Amino acid sequence: MSEPISDPVICPVCGKKAKTGSAIDCARHMFGTGDKPHREWVNAQGLSFIDLMIEQATTPGNASYQILAEAIEKARAKK
Amino acid sequence: MNKYTVINPHSKFTVLNTHVHNIDGIAKVTGRAEYTFDVKLPGMLYGKILRSPHPHAKILNIDYSRALEIPGVYGVVTGKDTLGVKQGIWRRYKDLCDEQILPLDKVRYIGEPVAAVAALTEEIAEKALDYIDVEYEVLQGVYEPLDAIKKDAPEIHEGFERNINVTRHIEWGEVEEAFDEAEYVREDWFKCGGQAHMCMETRAAVSSYTPEKKMTIYSSNQSAYYMQALMAGVLGMREGDVRVLAKYVGGGFGGKFELDGAIFCSAILSMKLFRPVKIVYTREEDFIATKRRTPMFYYVRTGVKKDGTFCAREAKVFTNGGAYTGMGATALYLTGFFHSFPYRWKGYRYDGYRVYTNTLPSTSMRGFGAPQAMWCSEQQIEWIAADLGLDPIEMRRMNSHHEGYEVPGQATIASCGIDQCYDEIKTWIASKGELPANRAIGLSACGFMSGGIFNWFDTPYSFSSAVVTINQDGTVELHVGAQEIGQGSNTTMAIICAEALGVKVGDIKVHSGDTDHCPADLGAWGSRQTLMTGNAVKMAAEDAKKQLLEFAYAQSGLNIVYDLDIKDGWVHAIARPERGEEFVQLVRKALRGKDGQRIVGRGYYTPHRKGMISPAYSYMLQGVEVEVDEETGKIKLVDSMTAHDCGQPINHLGLIGQLEGAFSMAAGYGYLEYMPYEDGKLMNPNLVDYKMIRATEMPPANIAEIDTYEPEGPYGAKEAGEGLTNPTAAAIGNALFHLFGVQMKECPVRPEMILNALKEKKEAQGK
Repeated sequence: MSEPISDPVICPVCGKKAKTGSAIDCARHMFGTGDKPHREWVNAQGLSFIDLMIEQATTPGNASYQILAEAIEKARAKK
Repeated sequence: MNKYTVINPHSKFTVLNTHVHNIDGIAKVTGRAEYTFDVKLPGMLYGKILRSPHPHAKILNIDYSRALEIPGVYGVVTGKDTLGVKQGIWRRYKDLCDEQILPLDKVRYIGEPVAAVAALTEEIAEKALDYIDVEYEVLQGVYEPLDAIKKDAPEIHEGFERNINVTRHIEWGEVEEAFDEAEYVREDWFKCGGQAHMCMETRAAVSSYTPEKKMTIYSSNQSAYYMQALMAGVLGMREGDVRVLAKYVGGGFGGKFELDGAIFCSAILSMKLFRPVKIVYTREEDFIATKRRTPMFYYVRTGVKKDGTFCAREAKVFTNGGAYTGMGATALYLTGFFHSFPYRWKGYRYDGYRVYTNTLPSTSMRGFGAPQAMWCSEQQIEWIAADLGLDPIEMRRMNSHHEGYEVPGQATIASCGIDQCYDEIKTWIASKGELPANRAIGLSACGFMSGGIFNWFDTPYSFSSAVVTINQDGTVELHVGAQEIGQGSNTTMAIICAEALGVKVGDIKVHSGDTDHCPADLGAWGSRQTLMTGNAVKMAAEDAKKQLLEFAYAQSGLNIVYDLDIKDGWVHAIARPERGEEFVQLVRKALRGKDGQRIVGRGYYTPHRKGMISPAYSYMLQGVEVEVDEETGKIKLVDSMTAHDCGQPINHLGLIGQLEGAFSMAAGYGYLEYMPYEDGKLMNPNLVDYKMIRATEMPPANIAEIDTYEPEGPYGAKEAGEGLTNPTAAAIGNALFHLFGVQMKECPVRPEMILNALKEKKEAQGK
């Protein structure tokens, strides 16, 4: 298990800190929650929540989580 | 002849750890046990349900005026007679409460209730169904999850994009780094079928609504409390105004703790007519209109070192959710969790997707997602051992859980006897000697939970409660909310109470299955009752005993350094067992001392700080000897051995019964119980075409019970009887692998699949 990080990423939708506070854990949290506000936020980043989810479901590895984590980091950097 | 051996037996108990016959056994075998089917109330009417012939259709109009003209018909109800509440057992998550049992707008599977009739007799009610005219607009249906997630698939529930109902993610460790460490990686796709719960007693309910606005419901269920709470919700009543009785239940297996058409429609009819209404499902209705084990597609990627050390595993799972959520959301999580069992993975990742389809909803069933998980996991592990030239038992052993192991972020393993299980199975295999050419042995390991710690039902009550009341003659009333469904729960609770209180099992009268008189309890699911209700019973009995011993201390005049105890109805100083008095004498004195108030002990249990899944885990390893007729592909189970750790056994007879029952159900899942659908229609909804294992096909079910001590369980007890549904299918698959070298990726394994695999193998060898 990764150690908790000092400047944790907070979910841009609900303000929750997911597990270690890393962007990838935040991405997992957003997929896991998957309600309308979280979906809309992902779509607003120029991504498709449902396409990312299907991609994650049907291909080995972690690509969709990583793509969303990058989007979360980008949005965070903008702030 | 079955062989039962106990390894590491304890002998410190008086009642517990012995062979006790079910306390309700005589009532059952003499026909005095009253099941819901037997309930008859004054003025009772009989109900029948009209079901959808379409897998997906809008309901445009229902006209039942012709049905009402039939003599003997008292009333008809449709969705318009209901509050239209979308209900579900995941009450904490409103999106997942998606089922109107009499839908208002559209039907989503063949067999879904559309209307219900109450009449003087079942025959009249059945006839009246033909006189109800339903106008449908038939919609395109979709039946497989991988089709239902396609962009152009029909939408089954509004707002669920690509028909994805629930997703679940489990991950620990640095998965990709762990895969990088692996020297061998294997990936496979598997398909796991559904399975019917096949309770001997089909779904049944008798509802009686009175002008005092009180509802009494007799129903065949696994949790009277759940039924009470859910029915109150859909009827717009207070829980306390709904009484649910379920004294005798003919099996549940995970299929009877959600609302069904029998309970709902009988209640709606009774509310409309102010008459008791009884609905009993036919066997066909039980097949097509209840729920089933969740069919799954499993992708598994596993990375190991050449010495057999497990590094990483990734699983992606699509489950065929059918039309509604039910308990399928829990099965989706548990399959992902138990797919890691019973092994230590440095990196583990699971992504599960439950997908709506226009088929019979899938839900929990004995094993709760784990039989599917083990079908895939345990076969792939066997194939990996073969690929690497390793001993499959020793490879499993070196990677297994052990006492004190933490499944990262999920669970801590406080007791674990799997290491001894490996020894026992090795001994059994060695005892078999050389097998005939048409036979082979397959193995499978697994673990299982002892009740879930999750509260998706959002109950404000303790998960389990018990009340012990002692009468003046020394008899004891034990009130529990635990549900006796034929598994022996009442007997287990009586034993725990008798052991704790120091009396005989025959002194205990167990009251269960009545929400008016028993404390709330989540009921019989997820192997929770022995540990959870058992803890509550032990606490209640100890509370009562403490109160009694206070009187005993006061009257004994013993030095304070001496302790008193009660064993076998004798109250005595532990240091001087001969000095004491009869339990009943002490009870009478205590009554007098309390101004006539009876001694009442209370106990409760809710797990706290026990991880994400369960307070405790059982472990087991099973070996199955399989014979195959190469001409027909027919499988015969010749022999079996299960090495099993359920902590401290409470009742050996009950344990044996549970393990044999689980094995027969698991074997059925492995090679017999196939549920083929065509355009959303189940093709074999009867016991002629749906094959279950019969007594003549049941091999010996030998058991080596490895006694361990589970600190969280009552007297060290944990799960038994559900977990053993998990390994058998994979063990059969592994036997086929050793016999023919074929890798079966779909269960149940049917004869034609074996023949095809052999044909393909021959063709490949020819090339």
